[in-house]
Amino acid sequence: MTTRAIEPWIFEPLVKFVKEAGARLVLLMTSAGQVLAQHGFSRAVDVMSAAALGAAIMASTDEIARQLRQPPFAALNHQGERHGIFLAAVTTGRGRLVVLVVYDLDASSLGLVQLFFEQLVADLQAASPKESVPKQVLAADFERELSDSLNTLFGR
Amino acid sequence: MADDVKALSAELAQDPDSLVFLRLGELLRHKGHLDAAHRVALTGLERHPHLADAHDLYARILADKHDFERAFDEWDMTLRIAPDHLGALKGLAFLYFKVGDVQQAAAHLEAAQRVAPDDTGIAQALALAHGGEGGAGPASPAPEPLAPSPAAQPLEEARVFAGLEGAEEGLLLLDPSGRVLGGALKDPAGRDVADAVAAYLAGVSQEAGRTAKLLGLGTWTGLAAEGQHGHVHLTPPTGSALLLVVRGRAVPMGRLAIIAQRAAVAARRWLEAQA
Amino acid sequence: MTAAPAGYGRVLDLVTRVRGVRGAMLVAGDDGLVVAEQLMEGIKGPAVAALAASLASRLRRAMEAAGLGAGQFWHLQAEQGALLVVPAPSGVVVVAVAESDVNVGLVRLELLRAAEAVG
Repeated sequence: MTTRAIEPWIFEPLVKFVKEAGARLVLLMTSAGQVLAQHGFSRAVDVMSAAALGAAIMASTDEIARQLRQPPFAALNHQGERHGIFLAAVTTGRGRLVVLVVYDLDASSLGLVQLFFEQLVADLQAASPKESVPKQVLAADFERELSDSLNTLFGR
Repeated sequence: MADDVKALSAELAQDPDSLVFLRLGELLRHKGHLDAAHRVALTGLERHPHLADAHDLYARILADKHDFERAFDEWDMTLRIAPDHLGALKGLAFLYFKVGDVQQAAAHLEAAQRVAPDDTGIAQALALAHGGEGGAGPASPAPEPLAPSPAAQPLEEARVFAGLEGAEEGLLLLDPSGRVLGGALKDPAGRDVADAVAAYLAGVSQEAGRTAKLLGLGTWTGLAAEGQHGHVHLTPPTGSALLLVVRGRAVPMGRLAIIAQRAAVAARRWLEAQA
Repeated sequence: MTAAPAGYGRVLDLVTRVRGVRGAMLVAGDDGLVVAEQLMEGIKGPAVAALAASLASRLRRAMEAAGLGAGQFWHLQAEQGALLVVPAPSGVVVVAVAESDVNVGLVRLELLRAAEAVG
């Protein structure tokens, strides 16, 4: 299965996480839903919708936490019959990033995903560039940025 | 051929849990009866959801039906269960060729070549991939016919443990990817379950190794388990091979460990002789 | 040792009182999450829970394929320690982390008693 990263520092920690946690799909994105890396997706349209939905869920729970005057929730987990979805944020030198993980209950578990997510957080924090913040995508450049990102994420 | 289908169907009807569905599904696929093959593979998968060969068979049928997206998922699942599965590596390489991702196709073919260095088909496809990189793109090679799966092959190396107690029904030597190297294993009803158990044990040994390592317990040396109907002892007689000893509940776990030690000596000797 | 809730604490006491046992846990078998734990310093509960549950699940499939039925006890032996596990009927898994020279028979008995108490 393919792992692709727009920013090279993400690649190794992500590959390691996928292998150890037995994750089926992974998206790493900014809080705004801009995808920085993916594993396991075969179609660009799936990446775009998963990123939009993941970022929206994070934004909603952040807002609930804010209204409850609590710090943001650490992670969310939804478990279905065959798959689980794990969504959590990680603070790196490149700002706050969101990680969406889909795992098969046959091949992995919430415990394994949580365990190796901790390692992923540490690896990303160690590998991330320290000074810069994620580049804001300007409206005028949006389509080109999106197209470039998807090309990288699917190795085209 | 029709007789083969009949015979295999009858065998499957008699024992729905058997792995004969792998051969029947593949035969039907070869004959172009894709809907029938599809049904056989799905029924087999329902009974053996963790069997890599079952996912591989299903993926081949889906690929023949041009349902490439689901075929991709099934081969992906195959590799999750058995990371060195040759059929899945070749299948994914084929799909990557189809979408023009020559780099990924070559990566999967290289992984396949590491598993089967003597497979000339892989070498040819790989040459095509390397030749195609940066060029107009190679023609998509169709996935090769399924090599007889380990599940469908008779055990020819039962003599590894010749003379040892239970050599004909409760001793199994495996390679790291879960393929049977020697020995035999029957369930309490006397059915041959060597291949099915071998496929699952590859995952068990990987997990045992990782657990011991991550918990700071060092290298794992054995895994003993009690079941409702029998006991199991699993050991790595060498760095990569895996030895399974199974006995009924009447055999105490301590005695099982002694039998496992003796079998490990025989296995090491046999492996050294093969090297 | 890290403490477990009172009811579970008594169950885990059965196991941790055996000489050579470095910790005991109740783990949710399906999720691999810690339910309760009594562990010596340095043992990572979440790691033990996730890995023990994963190994238990893989081993269960292999044993079912071999026609041996559900696993009742298993023992991972390693050079510098051991992991001993008994699944309870409720789906909770009782786990002990021990020295490699622990009295396995005694730990097994206490794990079975603990699993019975958990239900």
